[in-house]
Amino acid sequence: MSTLTDRYLAATLRAVPAQRRAELDEELRGSIADMIDDRTAGGQDRATAEREVLTELGNPEQLAARYADRPLQLIGPRYYLVWWRVLRMLLTFVPAVAGVVAGVAKATVGGEPGAAIGAGIVGALQATVQTAFWITAVFAVAERVNPEPKLPAWSVDQLPEAPKERQVTLVDSCGSIAFLLCAAAFLSWQHFQPWMSGDGSRLPMLDPALWSFWLPFLIAVLVATVGLEIAKYRAGRWTWPLVAVNAVLDLAFAVPVAWLLLTDRLLNPQLVQRFDWLREGGAQDVARIAVVVTVAITVWDLVDSAVKARRQAG
Amino acid sequence: MVSEEVLRTHLQELRRGTVVVASLVALRQPDYGYALLQRLGAHGFPVDANTLYPLLRRLEEQGLLTSEWNTEESRPRKFYRTSADGEGVLRRLLDDLAAVQDSVAGLIEGVGR
Repeated sequence: MSTLTDRYLAATLRAVPAQRRAELDEELRGSIADMIDDRTAGGQDRATAEREVLTELGNPEQLAARYADRPLQLIGPRYYLVWWRVLRMLLTFVPAVAGVVAGVAKATVGGEPGAAIGAGIVGALQATVQTAFWITAVFAVAERVNPEPKLPAWSVDQLPEAPKERQVTLVDSCGSIAFLLCAAAFLSWQHFQPWMSGDGSRLPMLDPALWSFWLPFLIAVLVATVGLEIAKYRAGRWTWPLVAVNAVLDLAFAVPVAWLLLTDRLLNPQLVQRFDWLREGGAQDVARIAVVVTVAITVWDLVDSAVKARRQAG
Repeated sequence: MVSEEVLRTHLQELRRGTVVVASLVALRQPDYGYALLQRLGAHGFPVDANTLYPLLRRLEEQGLLTSEWNTEESRPRKFYRTSADGEGVLRRLLDDLAAVQDSVAGLIEGVGR
Protein backbone atom coordinates (compact mmCIF):
# COMPACT_ATOMS: atom_id res chain seq x y z
CA MET A 1 0.00 0.00 0.00
CA SER A 2 1.35 3.41 -0.88
CA THR A 3 2.00 5.79 2.00
CA LEU A 4 0.53 9.24 2.34
CA THR A 5 3.93 10.63 1.34
CA ASP A 6 3.90 8.59 -1.87
CA ARG A 7 0.46 9.87 -2.69
CA TYR A 8 1.47 13.43 -1.88
CA LEU A 9 4.55 13.22 -4.08
CA ALA A 10 2.59 11.68 -6.94
CA ALA A 11 0.01 14.47 -6.73
CA THR A 12 2.71 17.16 -6.68
CA LEU A 13 4.97 15.73 -9.37
CA ARG A 14 2.12 15.11 -11.77
CA ALA A 15 1.86 18.88 -12.17
CA VAL A 16 5.54 19.75 -12.72
CA PRO A 17 7.45 19.49 -16.03
CA ALA A 18 8.59 15.90 -16.70
CA GLN A 19 12.32 16.59 -17.08
CA ARG A 20 12.56 17.85 -13.49
CA ARG A 21 10.38 15.19 -11.92
CA ALA A 22 12.98 12.57 -10.91
CA GLU A 23 15.26 15.03 -9.16
CA LEU A 24 12.43 16.88 -7.49
CA ASP A 25 10.98 13.57 -6.32
CA GLU A 26 14.19 12.67 -4.54
CA GLU A 27 14.71 16.09 -3.00
CA LEU A 28 11.15 16.59 -1.84
CA ARG A 29 10.95 13.03 -0.49
CA GLY A 30 14.14 13.72 1.48
CA SER A 31 12.79 17.02 2.81
CA ILE A 32 9.53 15.40 3.92
CA ALA A 33 11.47 12.57 5.60
CA ASP A 34 13.67 15.14 7.39
CA MET A 35 10.60 16.99 8.64
CA ILE A 36 8.97 13.76 9.84
CA ASP A 37 12.16 12.59 11.56
CA ASP A 38 12.42 15.88 13.38
CA ARG A 39 8.91 15.45 14.76
CA THR A 40 9.26 11.79 15.72
CA ALA A 41 12.51 12.66 17.52
CA GLY A 42 10.35 14.98 19.61
CA GLY A 43 8.20 12.03 20.70
CA GLN A 44 5.39 12.15 18.11
CA ASP A 45 4.20 8.93 16.49
CA ARG A 46 5.08 8.51 12.85
CA ALA A 47 1.60 8.54 11.33
CA THR A 48 0.58 11.78 13.05
CA ALA A 49 3.90 13.40 12.16
CA GLU A 50 3.45 12.48 8.51
CA ARG A 51 -0.05 13.92 8.43
CA GLU A 52 1.10 17.15 10.04
CA VAL A 53 4.07 17.59 7.74
CA LEU A 54 1.98 17.06 4.60
CA THR A 55 -0.70 19.38 5.94
CA GLU A 56 1.97 22.01 6.49
CA LEU A 57 3.22 21.65 2.94
CA GLY A 58 -0.35 22.24 1.78
CA ASN A 59 -2.26 21.56 -1.40
CA PRO A 60 0.12 19.63 -3.73
CA GLU A 61 -1.18 21.43 -6.80
CA GLN A 62 -0.32 24.75 -5.21
CA LEU A 63 3.14 23.51 -4.28
CA ALA A 64 3.67 22.25 -7.83
CA ALA A 65 2.60 25.63 -9.21
CA ARG A 66 5.22 27.30 -7.00
CA TYR A 67 7.89 24.90 -8.23
CA ALA A 68 6.92 25.45 -11.85
CA ASP A 69 6.37 29.20 -11.36
CA ARG A 70 2.94 28.81 -12.86
CA PRO A 71 0.15 31.39 -12.48
CA LEU A 72 -2.75 30.38 -10.23
CA GLN A 73 -5.22 32.65 -11.97
CA LEU A 74 -7.00 32.36 -15.28
CA ILE A 75 -6.08 35.87 -16.41
CA GLY A 76 -3.59 37.88 -14.40
CA PRO A 77 -3.12 41.62 -13.95
CA ARG A 78 -0.93 41.89 -17.07
CA TYR A 79 -3.78 40.88 -19.35
CA TYR A 80 -6.89 41.58 -17.29
CA LEU A 81 -7.55 45.15 -18.45
CA VAL A 82 -6.97 44.34 -22.14
CA TRP A 83 -9.19 41.27 -21.82
CA TRP A 84 -11.94 43.33 -20.21
CA ARG A 85 -11.72 46.09 -22.80
CA VAL A 86 -11.83 43.67 -25.78
CA LEU A 87 -14.70 41.72 -24.23
CA ARG A 88 -16.76 44.85 -23.58
CA MET A 89 -16.08 46.17 -27.06
CA LEU A 90 -17.17 42.93 -28.73
CA LEU A 91 -20.23 42.46 -26.54
CA THR A 92 -21.54 45.89 -27.55
CA PHE A 93 -22.31 44.67 -31.05
CA VAL A 94 -21.66 40.95 -31.64
CA PRO A 95 -24.78 39.65 -29.82
CA ALA A 96 -26.98 42.30 -31.46
CA VAL A 97 -25.68 41.51 -34.95
CA ALA A 98 -25.97 37.76 -34.39
CA GLY A 99 -29.49 38.17 -32.99
CA VAL A 100 -30.68 40.25 -35.95
CA VAL A 101 -29.07 37.87 -38.46
CA ALA A 102 -30.61 34.83 -36.76
CA GLY A 103 -34.02 36.51 -36.58
CA VAL A 104 -33.99 37.67 -40.20
CA ALA A 105 -32.79 34.24 -41.37
CA LYS A 106 -35.61 32.55 -39.47
CA ALA A 107 -38.18 34.92 -40.95
CA THR A 108 -36.95 34.78 -44.56
CA VAL A 109 -35.02 31.60 -45.31
CA GLY A 110 -36.76 29.62 -42.57
CA GLY A 111 -40.11 31.06 -43.58
CA GLU A 112 -41.33 31.42 -39.98
CA PRO A 113 -41.73 35.14 -39.24
CA GLY A 114 -43.58 34.31 -36.01
CA ALA A 115 -40.54 32.54 -34.57
CA ALA A 116 -38.11 35.30 -35.63
CA ILE A 117 -37.97 37.11 -32.28
CA GLY A 118 -37.35 33.90 -30.34
CA ALA A 119 -34.65 32.82 -32.80
CA GLY A 120 -33.08 36.29 -32.52
CA ILE A 121 -32.95 36.16 -28.71
CA VAL A 122 -31.49 32.64 -28.75
CA GLY A 123 -28.94 33.70 -31.38
CA ALA A 124 -27.92 36.76 -29.35
CA LEU A 125 -27.54 34.71 -26.14
CA GLN A 126 -25.45 32.08 -27.90
CA ALA A 127 -23.25 34.76 -29.46
CA THR A 128 -22.75 36.34 -26.00
CA VAL A 129 -21.69 33.05 -24.42
CA GLN A 130 -19.47 32.07 -27.35
CA THR A 131 -17.76 35.46 -27.53
CA ALA A 132 -17.09 35.55 -23.78
CA PHE A 133 -15.79 31.98 -23.79
CA TRP A 134 -13.42 32.29 -26.73
CA ILE A 135 -12.00 35.68 -25.80
CA THR A 136 -11.36 34.43 -22.26
CA ALA A 137 -9.81 31.20 -23.58
CA VAL A 138 -7.44 33.12 -25.88
CA PHE A 139 -6.30 35.40 -23.05
CA ALA A 140 -5.91 32.49 -20.62
CA VAL A 141 -3.61 30.77 -23.13
CA ALA A 142 -1.68 34.01 -23.72
CA GLU A 143 -1.22 34.39 -19.95
CA ARG A 144 0.56 31.03 -19.91
CA VAL A 145 2.42 31.16 -23.22
CA ASN A 146 3.58 34.77 -23.20
CA PRO A 147 3.89 36.06 -19.63
CA GLU A 148 5.75 39.23 -20.73
CA PRO A 149 3.50 40.72 -23.38
CA LYS A 150 4.54 43.75 -25.39
CA LEU A 151 1.26 45.56 -25.00
CA PRO A 152 1.09 49.20 -26.02
CA ALA A 153 1.74 51.40 -23.00
CA TRP A 154 -1.02 53.54 -21.64
CA SER A 155 -0.78 57.26 -22.37
CA VAL A 156 -2.73 60.29 -21.18
CA ASP A 157 -4.03 60.76 -24.72
CA GLN A 158 -6.26 57.74 -24.21
CA LEU A 159 -8.25 59.48 -21.50
CA PRO A 160 -11.91 59.64 -22.51
CA GLU A 161 -13.84 62.89 -22.29
CA ALA A 162 -15.31 63.41 -18.85
CA PRO A 163 -18.98 62.43 -19.11
CA LYS A 164 -21.29 65.35 -19.75
CA GLU A 165 -24.09 65.73 -17.32
CA ARG A 166 -27.06 64.43 -19.27
CA GLN A 167 -30.66 65.17 -18.61
CA VAL A 168 -31.62 62.48 -21.09
CA THR A 169 -29.92 59.19 -20.33
CA LEU A 170 -29.30 56.34 -22.75
CA VAL A 171 -31.46 53.99 -20.67
CA ASP A 172 -34.42 56.39 -20.76
CA SER A 173 -34.10 56.88 -24.52
CA CYS A 174 -33.78 53.16 -25.26
CA GLY A 175 -36.77 52.43 -23.03
CA SER A 176 -38.90 55.05 -24.79
CA ILE A 177 -37.87 53.86 -28.25
CA ALA A 178 -38.59 50.23 -27.36
CA PHE A 179 -42.02 51.24 -26.07
CA LEU A 180 -42.81 53.25 -29.22
CA LEU A 181 -41.72 50.40 -31.52
CA CYS A 182 -43.82 47.94 -29.51
CA ALA A 183 -46.84 50.26 -29.83
CA ALA A 184 -46.32 50.58 -33.60
CA ALA A 185 -45.86 46.82 -33.88
CA PHE A 186 -49.05 46.26 -31.89
CA LEU A 187 -51.11 48.38 -34.29
CA SER A 188 -50.08 46.12 -37.18
CA TRP A 189 -50.02 42.90 -35.15
CA GLN A 190 -53.60 43.24 -33.90
CA HIS A 191 -54.71 43.12 -37.54
CA PHE A 192 -52.58 40.26 -38.85
CA GLN A 193 -52.55 38.14 -35.70
CA PRO A 194 -56.08 38.94 -34.60
CA TRP A 195 -57.52 38.37 -31.22
CA MET A 196 -59.44 35.17 -30.70
CA SER A 197 -63.07 35.84 -29.96
CA GLY A 198 -65.39 33.62 -27.94
CA ASP A 199 -66.51 31.33 -30.75
CA GLY A 200 -63.00 30.66 -32.02
CA SER A 201 -63.08 33.02 -35.00
CA ARG A 202 -60.40 35.70 -35.18
CA LEU A 203 -61.27 39.37 -35.29
CA PRO A 204 -59.01 42.44 -35.43
CA MET A 205 -59.37 44.63 -32.31
CA LEU A 206 -59.40 47.90 -34.21
CA ASP A 207 -61.73 48.76 -37.09
CA PRO A 208 -60.07 47.50 -40.31
CA ALA A 209 -61.64 50.46 -42.15
CA LEU A 210 -59.14 52.70 -40.35
CA TRP A 211 -56.34 51.27 -42.49
CA SER A 212 -57.44 53.61 -45.27
CA PHE A 213 -55.86 56.50 -43.36
CA TRP A 214 -55.84 56.68 -39.58
CA LEU A 215 -53.84 53.57 -38.62
CA PRO A 216 -50.97 54.30 -41.07
CA PHE A 217 -51.05 57.89 -39.83
CA LEU A 218 -50.78 56.83 -36.15
CA ILE A 219 -47.92 54.43 -36.97
CA ALA A 220 -46.15 57.24 -38.85
CA VAL A 221 -46.55 59.50 -35.80
CA LEU A 222 -45.05 56.79 -33.54
CA VAL A 223 -42.09 56.36 -35.91
CA ALA A 224 -41.60 60.13 -36.02
CA THR A 225 -41.59 60.12 -32.20
CA VAL A 226 -38.75 57.56 -32.32
CA GLY A 227 -36.86 60.13 -34.40
CA LEU A 228 -37.61 62.74 -31.75
CA GLU A 229 -36.24 60.46 -29.01
CA ILE A 230 -33.01 60.04 -30.98
CA ALA A 231 -32.71 63.81 -31.52
CA LYS A 232 -33.38 64.36 -27.81
CA TYR A 233 -30.66 61.87 -26.84
CA ARG A 234 -28.17 63.53 -29.13
CA ALA A 235 -28.97 66.93 -27.65
CA GLY A 236 -28.65 65.37 -24.18
CA ARG A 237 -31.43 67.59 -22.80
CA TRP A 238 -34.81 69.11 -23.52
CA THR A 239 -34.68 72.22 -25.70
CA TRP A 240 -37.63 74.45 -26.65
CA PRO A 241 -37.67 73.26 -30.30
CA LEU A 242 -37.77 69.68 -29.01
CA VAL A 243 -40.65 70.61 -26.70
CA ALA A 244 -42.51 72.09 -29.65
CA VAL A 245 -42.00 69.05 -31.90
CA ASN A 246 -42.92 66.77 -28.99
CA ALA A 247 -46.16 68.72 -28.45
CA VAL A 248 -47.08 68.48 -32.14
CA LEU A 249 -46.44 64.72 -32.19
CA ASP A 250 -48.26 64.14 -28.89
CA LEU A 251 -51.32 66.00 -30.17
CA ALA A 252 -51.10 64.32 -33.60
CA PHE A 253 -51.47 61.01 -31.78
CA ALA A 254 -53.82 61.88 -28.91
CA VAL A 255 -56.38 64.03 -30.76
CA PRO A 256 -57.21 61.47 -33.50
CA VAL A 257 -57.29 58.63 -30.95
CA ALA A 258 -59.63 60.56 -28.64
CA TRP A 259 -61.83 61.66 -31.53
CA LEU A 260 -62.04 58.12 -32.97
CA LEU A 261 -62.87 56.74 -29.52
CA LEU A 262 -65.57 59.28 -28.84
CA THR A 263 -67.20 58.72 -32.25
CA ASP A 264 -67.12 54.91 -31.75
CA ARG A 265 -64.88 54.39 -34.73
CA LEU A 266 -61.76 52.94 -33.15
CA LEU A 267 -62.90 49.48 -32.06
CA ASN A 268 -63.84 46.91 -34.66
CA PRO A 269 -67.68 47.00 -34.86
CA GLN A 270 -67.79 43.23 -35.46
CA LEU A 271 -65.89 42.72 -32.24
CA VAL A 272 -68.32 44.98 -30.37
CA GLN A 273 -71.23 42.97 -31.78
CA ARG A 274 -69.65 39.72 -30.61
CA PHE A 275 -69.63 40.62 -26.89
CA ASP A 276 -72.76 41.46 -25.01
CA TRP A 277 -71.14 43.77 -22.47
CA LEU A 278 -69.45 45.78 -25.21
CA ARG A 279 -72.65 46.06 -27.21
CA GLU A 280 -74.72 47.15 -24.20
CA GLY A 281 -72.80 50.29 -23.41
CA GLY A 282 -69.48 48.67 -22.48
CA ALA A 283 -67.86 50.04 -25.59
CA GLN A 284 -68.75 53.60 -24.52
CA ASP A 285 -67.29 53.00 -21.03
CA VAL A 286 -64.10 51.60 -22.53
CA ALA A 287 -63.90 54.61 -24.88
CA ARG A 288 -64.44 57.14 -22.06
CA ILE A 289 -61.80 55.55 -19.84
CA ALA A 290 -59.37 55.35 -22.76
CA VAL A 291 -59.95 59.02 -23.61
CA VAL A 292 -59.30 60.09 -20.01
CA VAL A 293 -56.10 58.02 -19.86
CA THR A 294 -54.91 59.35 -23.23
CA VAL A 295 -55.57 62.95 -22.25
CA ALA A 296 -53.86 62.48 -18.85
CA ILE A 297 -50.74 60.93 -20.39
CA THR A 298 -50.56 63.62 -23.08
CA VAL A 299 -50.98 66.52 -20.66
CA TRP A 300 -48.42 65.01 -18.27
CA ASP A 301 -45.91 64.55 -21.09
CA LEU A 302 -46.40 68.13 -22.34
CA VAL A 303 -45.99 69.62 -18.86
CA ASP A 304 -43.03 67.36 -18.07
CA SER A 305 -41.13 68.31 -21.24
CA ALA A 306 -41.79 72.03 -20.69
CA VAL A 307 -40.70 71.88 -17.03
CA LYS A 308 -37.49 70.07 -17.96
CA ALA A 309 -36.67 72.49 -20.78
CA ARG A 310 -37.28 75.43 -18.45
CA ARG A 311 -35.08 73.91 -15.72
CA GLN A 312 -32.33 73.39 -18.30
CA ALA A 313 -32.61 76.98 -19.60
CA GLY A 314 -32.67 78.43 -16.09
CA MET B 1 -7.76 49.65 16.21
CA VAL B 2 -6.29 48.12 13.05
CA SER B 3 -7.40 44.54 12.46
CA GLU B 4 -4.98 41.63 12.84
CA GLU B 5 -5.59 40.80 9.19
CA VAL B 6 -4.38 44.18 7.92
CA LEU B 7 -1.34 44.12 10.17
CA ARG B 8 -0.48 40.61 9.05
CA THR B 9 -0.57 41.44 5.33
CA HIS B 10 1.66 44.49 5.85
CA LEU B 11 4.18 42.48 7.85
CA GLN B 12 4.09 39.78 5.18
CA GLU B 13 4.77 42.37 2.46
CA LEU B 14 7.67 43.79 4.46
CA ARG B 15 9.19 40.35 5.07
CA ARG B 16 8.74 38.92 1.60
CA GLY B 17 12.03 39.99 0.03
CA THR B 18 14.10 39.38 3.13
CA VAL B 19 13.76 35.59 2.79
CA VAL B 20 15.95 35.74 -0.34
CA VAL B 21 18.55 37.87 1.46
CA ALA B 22 18.54 35.56 4.48
CA SER B 23 18.85 32.44 2.30
CA LEU B 24 21.76 33.85 0.31
CA VAL B 25 23.56 34.82 3.52
CA ALA B 26 22.87 31.50 5.25
CA LEU B 27 23.94 29.45 2.23
CA ARG B 28 27.45 30.83 2.24
CA GLN B 29 27.63 27.69 4.34
CA PRO B 30 26.22 24.84 2.19
CA ASP B 31 23.02 23.31 3.53
CA TYR B 32 19.98 21.26 2.54
CA GLY B 33 16.35 22.39 2.51
CA TYR B 34 15.05 21.41 5.91
CA ALA B 35 18.25 22.32 7.79
CA LEU B 36 18.17 25.77 6.17
CA LEU B 37 14.51 26.15 7.14
CA GLN B 38 15.41 25.50 10.77
CA ARG B 39 18.44 27.78 10.73
CA LEU B 40 16.44 30.62 9.26
CA GLY B 41 13.70 30.07 11.83
CA ALA B 42 16.24 30.07 14.67
CA HIS B 43 17.62 33.40 13.43
CA GLY B 44 14.28 35.13 13.30
CA PHE B 45 13.25 34.39 9.71
CA PRO B 46 10.24 32.12 10.08
CA VAL B 47 9.42 30.84 6.58
CA ASP B 48 7.00 28.19 5.34
CA ALA B 49 8.45 25.00 3.88
CA ASN B 50 6.19 25.31 0.84
CA THR B 51 7.66 28.77 0.17
CA LEU B 52 11.32 27.98 0.85
CA TYR B 53 11.70 24.75 -1.13
CA PRO B 54 10.41 26.17 -4.43
CA LEU B 55 12.37 29.38 -3.76
CA LEU B 56 15.64 27.44 -3.48
CA ARG B 57 15.05 25.83 -6.84
CA ARG B 58 14.18 29.16 -8.43
CA LEU B 59 17.37 30.77 -7.09
CA GLU B 60 19.32 27.81 -8.43
CA GLU B 61 17.75 28.24 -11.87
CA GLN B 62 18.69 31.92 -11.76
CA GLY B 63 22.29 30.91 -11.05
CA LEU B 64 22.39 32.49 -7.60
CA LEU B 65 22.80 29.12 -5.90
CA THR B 66 24.73 26.01 -6.89
CA SER B 67 23.78 22.56 -5.69
CA GLU B 68 25.40 19.23 -5.03
CA TRP B 69 24.01 15.87 -3.94
CA ASN B 70 25.52 14.52 -0.74
CA THR B 71 25.08 10.75 -0.50
CA GLU B 72 27.29 10.14 2.49
CA GLU B 73 24.60 10.43 5.15
CA SER B 74 21.56 8.28 5.94
CA ARG B 75 19.62 9.64 2.98
CA PRO B 76 20.74 11.54 -0.11
CA ARG B 77 20.34 15.28 0.31
CA LYS B 78 20.68 18.18 -2.05
CA PHE B 79 23.02 20.82 -0.63
CA TYR B 80 22.74 24.38 -1.86
CA ARG B 81 25.50 26.98 -1.73
CA THR B 82 25.55 30.66 -2.69
CA SER B 83 27.36 31.05 -6.03
CA ALA B 84 29.68 33.86 -7.07
CA ASP B 85 26.76 35.48 -8.92
CA GLY B 86 24.62 34.97 -5.83
CA GLU B 87 27.28 36.71 -3.73
CA GLY B 88 27.23 39.68 -6.12
CA VAL B 89 23.44 39.95 -5.98
CA LEU B 90 23.52 39.53 -2.20
CA ARG B 91 25.94 42.46 -1.82
CA ARG B 92 23.58 44.69 -3.82
CA LEU B 93 20.61 43.52 -1.78
CA LEU B 94 22.38 44.12 1.53
CA ASP B 95 23.42 47.62 0.37
CA ASP B 96 19.83 48.34 -0.55
CA LEU B 97 18.53 47.00 2.75
CA ALA B 98 20.98 49.29 4.57
CA ALA B 99 19.88 52.18 2.36
CA VAL B 100 16.24 51.54 3.26
CA GLN B 101 17.19 51.42 6.93
CA ASP B 102 19.05 54.73 6.61
CA SER B 103 16.20 56.35 4.73
CA VAL B 104 13.68 55.29 7.35
CA ALA B 105 15.96 56.55 10.12
CA GLY B 106 16.44 59.86 8.32
CA LEU B 107 12.72 60.21 7.76
CA ILE B 108 11.93 59.50 11.40
CA GLU B 109 14.48 62.13 12.48
CA GLY B 110 13.14 64.65 9.96
CA VAL B 111 9.57 64.18 11.12
CA GLY B 112 10.57 64.21 14.80
CA ARG B 113 12.27 67.57 14.46
